[in-house]
Amino acid sequence: MFSQYFGHYLLNKRLINLLQLQDVLELQKSNHVKLGILAINEGFMSVEQVDETHEKQMLMDKKFGEIAIELGFLTEDQLEILLTAQNKSHLLIGQTLIDRGYLTLKQYSEALINYKKDHSLSDEQFQNISNGDIETLINRTLTVGHPYLRDVYIDYLSLFAKNMIRFIDDQTHIEAQPFTEPEIIPWLVTQKISGDMHLWTGIATDESLFLHIASKFAQEEFDQPDEYAQASISEFLNLHNGLFLVNMSNQNIELDMEPQKVHQDAQLIPDTLGYIVSVHSSSRTFYLILSNQLQYV
Amino acid sequence: MIKKELKVLICDDSILVRKKLKDALEQAECKNILEASDGQVAVNMCKKYRPDLVFLDIVMPNKDGIQALTEIKEFDQSINVVMASSAGTQTYLKQAIKLGVYDFLQKPLTSDAVSELMNRFIKARG
Repeated sequence: MFSQYFGHYLLNKRLINLLQLQDVLELQKSNHVKLGILAINEGFMSVEQVDETHEKQMLMDKKFGEIAIELGFLTEDQLEILLTAQNKSHLLIGQTLIDRGYLTLKQYSEALINYKKDHSLSDEQFQNISNGDIETLINRTLTVGHPYLRDVYIDYLSLFAKNMIRFIDDQTHIEAQPFTEPEIIPWLVTQKISGDMHLWTGIATDESLFLHIASKFAQEEFDQPDEYAQASISEFLNLHNGLFLVNMSNQNIELDMEPQKVHQDAQLIPDTLGYIVSVHSSSRTFYLILSNQLQYV
Repeated sequence: MIKKELKVLICDDSILVRKKLKDALEQAECKNILEASDGQVAVNMCKKYRPDLVFLDIVMPNKDGIQALTEIKEFDQSINVVMASSAGTQTYLKQAIKLGVYDFLQKPLTSDAVSELMNRFIKARG
């Protein structure tokens, strides 16, 4: 999951283009992480030390770890940690970016440092994120000040990110932004949650992506936004919200939800305590609306 | 009793869920399947057709699943009802158990889960 977020960060920073991102995400699935990348990720070695180790490695028949230890760049314990982490898939993006020549080792290292800085991440938080902790990442991107709503939104969005991966697209990446501008939405599916608190939730999309999500969720192809396609998107939102209610119930917060509604060409009224969440799926974007006072006309 | 003889009512406001559940039941060799799109329709159909087993969603327009379960059980305690919902909250579960629900299936429903439930239901009925 970290790969999606870091990859889109690189895209937003114009360090790579969309085609390169798609290429990297595809390739990294079969790539193998090298110890030099891991050592930089863990902060055990500098770029210069990794380069020097690589240069020595080209001159002798020894493994990277052995040489790095001989040069005093790594300890035995650190090498053990790196070897253990080598199979973790989330680091493959770094290896793939470099192997394809999209970034140099130095650019990759700088991008990682800037990523941590831009998201105000401690080393521990970064480790959690790179190990798949979506809650930490979403926590760092939400700006709503109300502490109770903030915690609820984090739970909601973290679960949504997981459900997108589970039911729609394993290459999903989401970004939350404050919801301040009115939007005309070609297709809007909403569901209201009430009880111990109130939430308006919605999936907003154009017709093309509406059909794509509907097809993915139902596991059958839709070429028209007919009642089955509408039912598919509605059921996906309903399923996600139902699972959210179960999670909340396990925290002793009892909620209820209303039946979903489908709207065409709806206009959303901005809500300063709400979010419009960009959900990137298969190189296209739709929006998840999350608000405690959503209105539409 | 064999599965082909069972009368099963599916109640869900989603046409897609009804279709998927019907497919799963047919795979499990159930042939006599009725459909309702909300709780009120389900109550009416229970009174008219007396199904052996009802799959009942919870969040629905007009009449929700808990209210429909209440009315079905008031009418005929012997009708077996399986709640099939994504919203398996403690409140809903407690209400459903108190009302005498046969089982609860967490959505998304799978063919395996439906088949296992049907086998268990048939076995329990002898």
